[in-house]
Parts: sequence; C-alpha cells; structure tokens
Amino acid sequence: MNKYLKITPEGTKDFLFAECSAMDDICGKIESVFKTGGFKRVITPGIEFYDVFSLPCSGISQEDMFKLSDNKGRLLVVRPDSTLPIARMVSSRLKNSVLPVRLYYKQAVYRNNPTLTGRRNEFMQMGVELLGVKGLRADLEILSTAVKSVSAIASDFRIELGHAEVFDALSDELDIDDAFKEKLRVSIESKNYSALNNLLDKLEPCRAVSAIRSLPSLFGGEEIFGKAAEICRGTKAMSALDYLHTIYNNFAPLNLGDKLIIDLGLVQRNDYYTGFVFAGYINGIGDAVITGGRYDDLLGEFGAPMGAAGFAIDTDAVTMLRLSDENVSYSDNPEVLVFAEDGHEIEAISLVSKLNAQGIKAQFSVLPTLEETKSFAASRKIAEVRTVG
Amino acid sequence: MKPLRIALTKGRLEKTTVELLEKIGYNCDAVKNKGRKLILPVGDNDFEVVLAKAADVITYVEHGVCDLGVVGKDTILENGTSFYELLDLNFGKCRFALATKKGVDFYSGYNTKTIATKYPNVTRAFFDDKNMDVRIIKIEGSVELAPLVGLADGIVDIVETGSTLKANGLEIKEWVTDISARLIANTASLKLRKKEIEELQKKLEAVTQ
Repeated sequence: MNKYLKITPEGTKDFLFAECSAMDDICGKIESVFKTGGFKRVITPGIEFYDVFSLPCSGISQEDMFKLSDNKGRLLVVRPDSTLPIARMVSSRLKNSVLPVRLYYKQAVYRNNPTLTGRRNEFMQMGVELLGVKGLRADLEILSTAVKSVSAIASDFRIELGHAEVFDALSDELDIDDAFKEKLRVSIESKNYSALNNLLDKLEPCRAVSAIRSLPSLFGGEEIFGKAAEICRGTKAMSALDYLHTIYNNFAPLNLGDKLIIDLGLVQRNDYYTGFVFAGYINGIGDAVITGGRYDDLLGEFGAPMGAAGFAIDTDAVTMLRLSDENVSYSDNPEVLVFAEDGHEIEAISLVSKLNAQGIKAQFSVLPTLEETKSFAASRKIAEVRTVG
Repeated sequence: MKPLRIALTKGRLEKTTVELLEKIGYNCDAVKNKGRKLILPVGDNDFEVVLAKAADVITYVEHGVCDLGVVGKDTILENGTSFYELLDLNFGKCRFALATKKGVDFYSGYNTKTIATKYPNVTRAFFDDKNMDVRIIKIEGSVELAPLVGLADGIVDIVETGSTLKANGLEIKEWVTDISARLIANTASLKLRKKEIEELQKKLEAVTQ
C-alpha cells in the first residue's frame, strides 16, 4: 500500500498561489538589490559530495544533512548550505578569472532537523558572496548590500555586528584546548551567563578571562566600544574592536540609528568566519533572517586562498511573515473571463491578448458552455464575462 | 507595541516566579486568580504571562511566539536548542544524579550498563563525556523502580532530598549536574526589544542573586 502517497515529508510543504506570489515578490525585491549591485547569479547542484561539507569548519554536523550514495558508493548530501559549494566552484572554475567576483544565489537548502519541532527541512535562501578581495571596502559593500536587501523587504529590523577575532584573540591568550574553547563559544553564543561563569571559574583569573566573561553582555549601540575597550585593553582583541568601530562609523551617514547594533557575543556556529560577522532580525520573526560575514580562510581549504565575504537571507521566513500581514493581498484573479461560441475560439483568445495588452487581466474560458463559464466566474468572483461570436 | 510575552512553567516554578514579579513591583493578581485562562496580563499590561508545561516553554520561546521564559535547567539540558539563557534565578534548586542499588559497584566489570531515565539526552551526554557505552531505556513514571525489578543497573534522575531513593534502597553514586530555574529569551526578541528585556532582567537579578 502506498501509505505516504498523499503527504509531503516532514519539514517540507507545497506552496500555493498567494504563497508563491509572496515568495516571488520578496525574492524579486532582494534580487533587484543584488542585480543593481552588480552581483551575478550562479546555481550549484542540489546534490554534492559529502566531502564539500565535512570540513571541520563547515559548522554543519553530519546528522543535520540528508545523505545518499551514488552508483559508485560515494557519499552524497542534499545541499545543506550554499556558501561551501560556491567556495568549491570558485576555487576550481573561477580560479583564473579576474578578481574580485560578485555572485548571488537563490536556491533551496536542506537540513535534517529533529522531528516534531516545527522547523523547515527545506527552505529558500538568497545570498551574495564577494570573492577575491579583503579589507574595509569589501566589508562595507557586503554590509551595505545586506542593509539595502533587508530595507527592501521590511521596515522594522536590526542588523547586529560582531567580529570573529574578538573571541578568537581572547581565547588564544588562555591555556585551553579546542573542546574547552568550543564550550566557551557555545555559552557565549547562547548568552548563557551561568555556564560561562562556571567554565571561566576553572581558569586562572587574568585580563582575557574577565574580558570573555563580559562578552555576551557587550551588545548595544556605540557606547559598547567604550565599554569593550576598557575591558579588552592590552589584549589582542583590540585591533578587531577598532576595526569594528571603523565599520560602524562608516555607516553613520546612513542614519540607521538603533537599527545598527553591536554584539561582541555574536560568535557564529559556522567556524569559517574570520573577520566581521553580522546577523539581521526582522520584527515578527523569531530567528535571525540574515547571517553573514568574512571568511578569508575557507577558499584556502579548497586550494585557492583568497579573501571572501557574504551573507544569506532566509526568504521563506520573510514570505511567511508577509502572508500573515492582513494589509497585504496577493490576489491574481482575472477581471474578465472571455467565452467563445463554437468556432470562435481563436478569435476569443486573440481578444484576451488584446485586453492583456491594455493592462486588463483577462482569461480565456476553457469551459464548454456559457452557463458553466458564468457560474465559474461567480464562484471565483470574476466581475465580467464577455462572449465572442 | 505588543506587551512582552513571558512563558512560565506551570506549577512550583510559576508560583515562585509570580512571587518574584510581585517583589519587583508588578501586580500579578490576574495570574493568581487565573481560572482556566492560559494568557494573563501582568502589572499595568506590562507583560503577558503564558502558562505552559516545561518543555513547551522552550518550544514557545524558541519559535519566538513568547519573548521570555522561566524554565528549569533540567528541561533546558534535555530539550534545549537555540535561545539565550539570561539569568540563573536561583530557585527550584535540585540536582541530577546517577543512583544504583545500595552497595553495587556500578563501574566494575565489562558488561554494558543499562540506565533507566526520564532524561535520555542528559544521560547520553553524561556517559559520552566518560567515553562509556551505555544502554539507555526511557521510563515515563517512577524511575526508581527500574533497578529494583532488574530492568536497569542504575538510574539518572532529579534528586531533591534523596528520600525516595533511600526508601527504596538506592544510593547516589555521582552528581551529574546542578539544576535551578533559568530566565531564557528568544534570540530575535532580545535584539528587537533589548531595553525592555534588559530592564526586567536587571530587576530580577537584583532580587535573586
């Protein structure tokens, strides 16, 4: 018996009508920001070799990936992320092209989330990657593209900025192994003050220990730089802090106000970030909508070291938010239904084209009788039925 | 703007949290006389309180339909994924422990041990840390029964006074971790409503630390 004949797998869904229109609308707005910025679209395969995602820095654990094998028994995964495949692609196919390259993608990614948590296992992501260049100008370009993208789809948002090196530099000053460092990182990421304190109490007190202790609370506006400088003075984290301040100051003319915030506790799970990192939040969505930053070491893992930065937007979350807004409607109902008497079909179809050209939403009736056409129009709330012939 | 929504773990944690909220000056009469209502206003519509089972508090906060939550560390360890854990509220204190029948040398021998527990993830993590393979059996009710009837070599469970263990001839072999009530926050809420959340956090900190 085909028990699962009529349902979709957990974490996936069909998109119907208004859902598709909303998705097209959101993606279209973002796409136009990307295209205006000179980013060019790429599409990577839906399945990739497991090796692409098994790098220690990938930040995607193997139980989160959908796996299958090819006819030689090699392990494949259904694309769980787009940045790593793009790094693979650039390191091989675009290795000798003129740098920097600006790429964007619009494709679904797949994660095997625990069941019954209401999480999506398939979701559309759009993002940009700017590869082959390091430095402030590239970072400003990426961040301002992110700000433009999120402004195009929402008015109430926050972008928070952090720097991967703040935590890295501070933890390097401590005599700890990688496992302990990861525990520290997790407790900072989750702003788990009590766990962080328990861990740090095991270490010899020093400047770096007390600086790490305050990292999760160091988020807010520009005042954070002053506080952080006091705490981190004399540590290697200072240069990262100064750099972050430079980025922040550069954005002053855009008058983002409290929409741009600093979070020194922003330590992303994806270990490939090396420089500035950021996340974007939209009112009404319970998770980060944008995540991104600089990842200068990743391309080296693929044998083509070069600077790189980018971000991804969870467009499905934005689509769902848009659909829940009662003030927005995505009706694509025709205004006119054109019925043809027998033998006048092509004439009617031509009339539909003529009306469409005038900007009137018209549709050719495929039903055999005028009566059926009229009752269909009534039930679909189509205002006018025209007859040809 | 909508009032902040706080999910409280029904029962004992709820009572103590309400006492704390009153202590820092919020009128909680609606929560105390809740009847069958599940969403209740606090203070002068400063927040909304939602009452839920422990694991559901995490679910509501994680999905962002509640901004904050008060939940035990035991539930966080067992079900936790991604949210901010802002504050140890220092009440609802107890501990996770590994217990066996009195006089049993749990770690001796080569046979794979069987552990009965209501908290399989906590148990798994505890023995993973020791690089020890164990067979874990999930039990829904009184876990103490499992070693007595011969289902398991030991149990991992919450211990408050230890009197249930004692009455059944069990003893604590090892403490696994301390537990208390925690204030948790949705990641996006903390960014979008920083001021309000920080204000409440500071007030709660002042009366719990």
